[in-house]
Amino acid sequence: MAIKFSNTFLLRKLHQITGIVPLGAFFFVHIFTNSKAMNGEASFVKAVKEIHDIPFLLFIEIFGIFLPLLFHSIYGIIISAEAKANPISYNYGRNWLYVFQRATGVFLFVFILFHLLHFRFGIVPGLTMDAVAGNAERSFAIVAGDFQITWVLIVYILGVLATAWHLGYGFFLFAVDWGIVIGEKAQKVALTACLGLSVLLAAVGVNAAFAFVRHCGLFPQALCEAPKKASNPTAPTKF
Amino acid sequence: MTTNGHIEKKRLENPPSTIKFKIQRREKEGAPASWETFAIDYRRNLNVISALMEIRKNPVTVEGRQTTPPVWDMSCLEQVCGICTMVIDGKVRQSCSALIDDLLVASGSDTISLAPMSKFPNVRDLKVDRSKMFDHLKQVKAWVDLDGSYDLGPGPHVTNELAQERYALSRCMTCGCCLEACPQYGDDNYIGPQAIAQAHLFNMHPTGKANMEERLNGLLGDDGIGNCGNAQNCVQVCPMSLPLTKAIYQTNRDITVEAIFGWLKK
Repeated sequence: MAIKFSNTFLLRKLHQITGIVPLGAFFFVHIFTNSKAMNGEASFVKAVKEIHDIPFLLFIEIFGIFLPLLFHSIYGIIISAEAKANPISYNYGRNWLYVFQRATGVFLFVFILFHLLHFRFGIVPGLTMDAVAGNAERSFAIVAGDFQITWVLIVYILGVLATAWHLGYGFFLFAVDWGIVIGEKAQKVALTACLGLSVLLAAVGVNAAFAFVRHCGLFPQALCEAPKKASNPTAPTKF
Repeated sequence: MTTNGHIEKKRLENPPSTIKFKIQRREKEGAPASWETFAIDYRRNLNVISALMEIRKNPVTVEGRQTTPPVWDMSCLEQVCGICTMVIDGKVRQSCSALIDDLLVASGSDTISLAPMSKFPNVRDLKVDRSKMFDHLKQVKAWVDLDGSYDLGPGPHVTNELAQERYALSRCMTCGCCLEACPQYGDDNYIGPQAIAQAHLFNMHPTGKANMEERLNGLLGDDGIGNCGNAQNCVQVCPMSLPLTKAIYQTNRDITVEAIFGWLKK
């Protein structure tokens, strides 16, 4: 006799693992790439070009990001919908984390949809209608331009904060749901570490967003390379 | 809330002369619920059950209307049987160990609200039908198979450590607090911490672990352990301080190990 899994159980496990790999891993890469904007336009444009040069890019994008994201977000909404949240009656820290994971999840569903339409596909009316993807030379200019609009910058900062929190706490959830962390003391240590990671990811992500409106983001400008314009093929070469 | 160890607590300095009870009433299963308020004279050392007994003697609401005496379940009166569990001032707990003074200090008012647990069929007033929990124990085979055609002799020895761990889980009195406080439990979509902890109790037993796969299969259905949302209210409200989350997460590990390495044995 062997153990048999129901569909619900398998879907939950798939939901948990897709949140870590590939989506969590992708978020690390994403904010690392964004942080290159700290060193100015040329540095960011180079990073975008390097991404465009990845072999099997479309394949990786579809199977590594789009499909896992689609599954994780839709199934996440289903999980959130069945919650009978009760943090007022049962006012415990981890009960609030439970509510918060679902709240950030629902917010991120909307935010990521907007983010994709905005920078991946460039079809949000009123904002730059050029996609960043496939448009490396103009990538920095597009983001920097739209980030001049205050509400866009605020929405992106909220998006980064929500993602960092959802992912950091998600690591804790993965650790307990897969039986890696078990005892009460271990739970406490793991939760502290995961929420610490959330704060770190949030700081890196927010700084990267500011790097598009101010050279070197939130750090003193002396820490970054001097700002350079991206090489423009039509501009006269200087000696 | 912990029940072990001495707790220096706040005393009720100026008790009110009368205390009010807002009680959820329901005539029978399926009938609409309504609220009635009763007032009784304050006296020292009342608990919710002795207050309910006082109300039962003369069931007249604060508006002066004669009504039926409220119905509730009780048995041991010392927080070991679990049958008097109800929602008191919004929180699930046993009514026998809910002292009136403590409730008044905590809420700062002179009214105490009493409602039946919302996750079980409401038989009448404060009485619920908890048989679902016993069905769940059957679903996970929470027992050790002992019957045979001959005497099997004494069971194997266990380490003191294992005995301690099993004892903690064996204190479960099937009261339902964990299920009532769980934001995932309800509508039959999640088996809940109580049955998972009991499955783990018997999975840890040296003879009982022979049936571990059957128990895990009882937990892997569409209503199974995967639906735990880690809000961890169960371990907070458990009146017997069972290590419920530890039991759930250890069972998660048993399942992960079996799922990943089980098929590699074939």
